[in-house]
Amino acid sequence: MCDCKTREVASPLLPHIATINKVIDETSNIKTFQVAFDEPGVLENFGNMPGQCCMLSILGVGESMISITSSPTRKGMLEFSIVKVGRLTDAIHELGEGDKMAIRGPYGNNFPYEMMKGKNLLIIAGGIGLAPVRSLIDYALDNRDDYGRVDIVYGARSTDLLCFKYDVFDKWPKVKDTHVHVTIDREEENWNGHVGFVPSYVEELAFSAENTIAVTCGPPIMIKFVLQALEKMGFKDEDIITTLEMNMRCGIGKCGRCNIGEKYICVDGPVFNLSQIKKLPPEF
Amino acid sequence: MADKSLKKDQVKNLLNKIAQSNQLIAPILSDGITLFKPVQSGEGVVLDYQNAVVPPKDFFFPQSEKMFSYDMSDPSWAIKPEEGVPNRVLFGARPCDVKSILLLDKVFDAEFRDDFYIDKRNKTTIVAISCNDCRHTCFCGAFGISPGKAEGADLLLTDLGDRYLVEVLTDKGETLAANCSDLFSNDDGSGAAAKEKATAPALEKQMKIDLEGVKAKLDNMFDHPMWAAESLRCIGCGTCTFVCPTCHCFDIVDFNNQSSVGYRYRCADSCQFANFTRAAGGHQPRPSKMERTRQRFMHKLRYFVDRYGDFGCVGCGRCLEKCPVNLDIAQIINKVKEVG
Repeated sequence: MCDCKTREVASPLLPHIATINKVIDETSNIKTFQVAFDEPGVLENFGNMPGQCCMLSILGVGESMISITSSPTRKGMLEFSIVKVGRLTDAIHELGEGDKMAIRGPYGNNFPYEMMKGKNLLIIAGGIGLAPVRSLIDYALDNRDDYGRVDIVYGARSTDLLCFKYDVFDKWPKVKDTHVHVTIDREEENWNGHVGFVPSYVEELAFSAENTIAVTCGPPIMIKFVLQALEKMGFKDEDIITTLEMNMRCGIGKCGRCNIGEKYICVDGPVFNLSQIKKLPPEF
Repeated sequence: MADKSLKKDQVKNLLNKIAQSNQLIAPILSDGITLFKPVQSGEGVVLDYQNAVVPPKDFFFPQSEKMFSYDMSDPSWAIKPEEGVPNRVLFGARPCDVKSILLLDKVFDAEFRDDFYIDKRNKTTIVAISCNDCRHTCFCGAFGISPGKAEGADLLLTDLGDRYLVEVLTDKGETLAANCSDLFSNDDGSGAAAKEKATAPALEKQMKIDLEGVKAKLDNMFDHPMWAAESLRCIGCGTCTFVCPTCHCFDIVDFNNQSSVGYRYRCADSCQFANFTRAAGGHQPRPSKMERTRQRFMHKLRYFVDRYGDFGCVGCGRCLEKCPVNLDIAQIINKVKEVG
């Protein structure tokens, strides 16, 4: 049970224990873990907002910053989609239902979902880059009448590398005024959809910048060309939003790793608009 | 509280008295170098030192510190935070090092409060000592720090030859002074003038570094070729960050000795090491010495100012003295003014 006195001494660096309720295989090296905290009240008071992150750890192995891919409108659980890419994520991928992990957070700022109200959303993601923006998509779709038209452009190298297929192909296209545009890099048997890179697909689709906020997340090279495409299409810097990534340890703006210029990505980010990014030293 | 006077032969009694009811941390000579250490009494404490090799930052933000222990065989993983520190007195800190603690406050006592740091900070009374002399690497004046003032200290002692002038600067200092009042006498009014005279040499002799315009120049020097040139001789040893009183970067590591029982600790880390920013998957925003050298100077002289409104350096001169290749922040400041 919660001993609030002790927690005060070491928070916010002290994790809560959570149990995995469900594991979804997204691709050969990406899994989504649905978890809930063991201690009653922790999840209810967690207060996470779309775009925020948590430090996930297996004690004895390590700790890493992972974005919360579920929307706060989906109660009773948090979801994290994790690529197997290093020591900790290798170990997390070994976990199954009923196993535990240690979680602290939520950290960082969030997508400006309040400012976006009444506007159209253009979400552009590549690969695992859909994970952080999925929290925003589900938030907007769960508050559907607060937002205008929602366009989601999602791409991966091949169909077996697409994540959240259940959302992308089944759930999201069925929501009113929500349009999902999927592309893969190369031709594939049994694929009738679009073929080509995400940035050029975005240009091809010729979205209007009128009353629209664009949010993009994906591999750095994709983001780079998507930003160029959006600028070409007439989006203002303030209306182009993306996320930055750096190595992190503390999550609370002290340990220095994610420092870029005067910013700490863990507290001032990960969400920035293009105008803010242009003011940062180009060191990410 | 009015200024006090402490006879030199009473210093040991004062330290003994403090040590009775507090953990006393004071400079001692250890293998020929001056270091701050916890001591049981006033025996062996040196107060005529110029500065300790490692700053007393360690007693607020230790090189290595346990955060919590755990037992994964317990269903709740039995996470147990480390206990806090006892009441402590840091005795004999120099004005530059005291100022550095105020700078660390800006980092650790902001937004998310770092309770490990704040516990130590709250339970520590700082007795500073003015500088009557300085090292050849000192330049605290560049940052508005004075050898005879110690913003952030609770009590300030100044060596006046046969006695110390004792200035009470805060409530915490007043409590400490009240507990030891039998050892003090009232200053006869000559203390202030005598102090000015005693600390004048430290101000006159130190390096004169002028920061005018440096921040504004650095705002436009991210891509300047001087970083590549200056970083050539850096060997990436991280000594500058190890001895720095304002460096606060750390790593968090778990130790479990191959069993279910273990602990998580944090330990000082350095922006001068390649692994500092290398992420899983290989992303590396600062791949060479150039980026890492630039980060250290930019952080202290530009980014820290933008974020916290003050320079992240106090001119203590430790990195100048200890750098094996003389990569010298004072020279960098002058160079920025020259080439920027």
